Amino acid sequence: MPHLHDARSHHGNPRVDGLLSPAAALRPLASNAGGLYAFPVTSHDEPKAEEFVDGFFRHEAGRLVATLVRRFGAGRLEAIEDAVQAALQAALVSWPRRGIPDNPSAWLTRAAQNQVIDQLRHDGAVTRAHDSGDPAFEEGEVAPPAVAFVGEIEDSELRMLFVCCDDELPPKTQLVLSLKLLCGFSTQEIAARLFLSDANVQKILGRGRTRLRELWDNPEGAALPEPSEGQLAARLGAVQRVIYLLFNEGYSSLREREVIRRDLCHEALRLGELLVSHAVGAEAESWALLALLHFHMARLDARTDESGALLSLDAQDRSRWNTEQIGRGFACLLRAGTAKVTLRYHAEAAVLAEHCIAPSYEQTDWAAIVELYAALEQIEPSPWHTLNRAIALAEWQGPEAGLALLEALAPPAWLSSHYLWDATFGELYRRAQKFEHAERHLRRALARVPTEAEKRIYERRLELCLGGTPKPA
Amino acid sequence: MTKYLFLYWGPSAASKTYEPSPEEFQEMFAQWAAWKQKFKDQVADLGDGLKPSGKFVRKEGVVTDGPLPELKEIVTGYSIIQAKSMDEAVKVARECPIYMMPGATTEIRELMGY
Repeated sequence: MPHLHDARSHHGNPRVDGLLSPAAALRPLASNAGGLYAFPVTSHDEPKAEEFVDGFFRHEAGRLVATLVRRFGAGRLEAIEDAVQAALQAALVSWPRRGIPDNPSAWLTRAAQNQVIDQLRHDGAVTRAHDSGDPAFEEGEVAPPAVAFVGEIEDSELRMLFVCCDDELPPKTQLVLSLKLLCGFSTQEIAARLFLSDANVQKILGRGRTRLRELWDNPEGAALPEPSEGQLAARLGAVQRVIYLLFNEGYSSLREREVIRRDLCHEALRLGELLVSHAVGAEAESWALLALLHFHMARLDARTDESGALLSLDAQDRSRWNTEQIGRGFACLLRAGTAKVTLRYHAEAAVLAEHCIAPSYEQTDWAAIVELYAALEQIEPSPWHTLNRAIALAEWQGPEAGLALLEALAPPAWLSSHYLWDATFGELYRRAQKFEHAERHLRRALARVPTEAEKRIYERRLELCLGGTPKPA
Repeated sequence: MTKYLFLYWGPSAASKTYEPSPEEFQEMFAQWAAWKQKFKDQVADLGDGLKPSGKFVRKEGVVTDGPLPELKEIVTGYSIIQAKSMDEAVKVARECPIYMMPGATTEIRELMGY
């Protein structure tokens, strides 16, 4: 998918170019010839942190776990995770001193791989494996996978997703495992994204790892169990959900400087495209998910102003939306089928499609959007959908209609203490000219808002509110 | 200019008291690179990390294992810094990113220069 990385794809090695800035890619580096501790002789340039795109180490961690699980088996997950940690530690010490290697991904792979082999040798697993001719332990470059998946999923990361989304695991565990093992999220990052406590995430991870080991560990070192095609199909929903969350993490990150982490969005899109390119994944809901991702991506550039501040939908310059990508979204939606919208990603993609074809915020078909959110509430009940329906309803019939819907709702504690809950109330009260109510809610939202960009939006609204202006901020 | 040995004390990675996330690794990498750049006249050798376990060899060939990798306080790495004075060396150490690792201490020892 060269179009996804077009800004960085104009020199030689695609992987390195995708990860380093063009300046770094052009920097002359002697080639790295071999083992873990063979380093390139670098130029006098100092290694600069900004040469790595946001999330580089995180993505590498996910890629390494996936690659090594494919080679050594998920039963050796513990040794693999330790090895990845050790490889990152080695990079931390080595790279500032020796310079960033020619191909950082290959360097990390070699480091982690040698570490796993060392560990397994230490545990005595290697001798047994050698006796049984386990090719995973042969020296040299990463060998072809020791285990062939039914349906032959080529990409180790997509394969890893299906391993994490094992139906023996509760859905929440699948999610947490995928985000940890495949996406390299920390416990805290997962907790924030899934509205769970850190301790809870740790507990889920512990149980998940144990279960994976039980499912995949094979003391004989022989062929590991393979999920059947039926099992793969059963895991599809969970796989889609993980891709959806991964995209969400990129699209609305918790960290200010990473309001839009394109690399994550690209990653989700890549996995989404990978999914539909494989027989087991190419069904309607996968296509709808992919449409959804394209519609969001198409508006990525327009979501921030020159200073990088986040713009709400009504303030975006629609001429900056990527019409080509919107077209791709509609093509995917067609593949998903245009029949009655009864599936989650269908409905969500349809909402976005409405926004993408609306000539302006005011001319949006809010009635259609209200209906779609109502459908979403049926498909997958969540107060988020109700919140969104209230916002659309307010645009369609006025702020009082939206407020009436929200006031009738008894939100769970996690929602009533969420900043978006107060932000929505604040904005609707402001438009309804109930400024005292509006101020109270906006201040509550401001106390909890996680990003500077969103903070600025609410501050702007609060100012308008204090000035007695009901117009959209 | 005088040379100083920076010995970084702290829990070893093997003790698993602190396992940075990939994001934290990236941040630490950025800070080390920035530190090396900022003090390029002082950082003579960024040094290396040390594996957690080793041997003590005493008189008459007595060999024991040590230090124990589980210890909270072992030497985890070193750097060589050149500075005009101990004060300047302390200033360099204060800004060292080693403190992103909880429990880290820098021991500064002036080289005799023999």
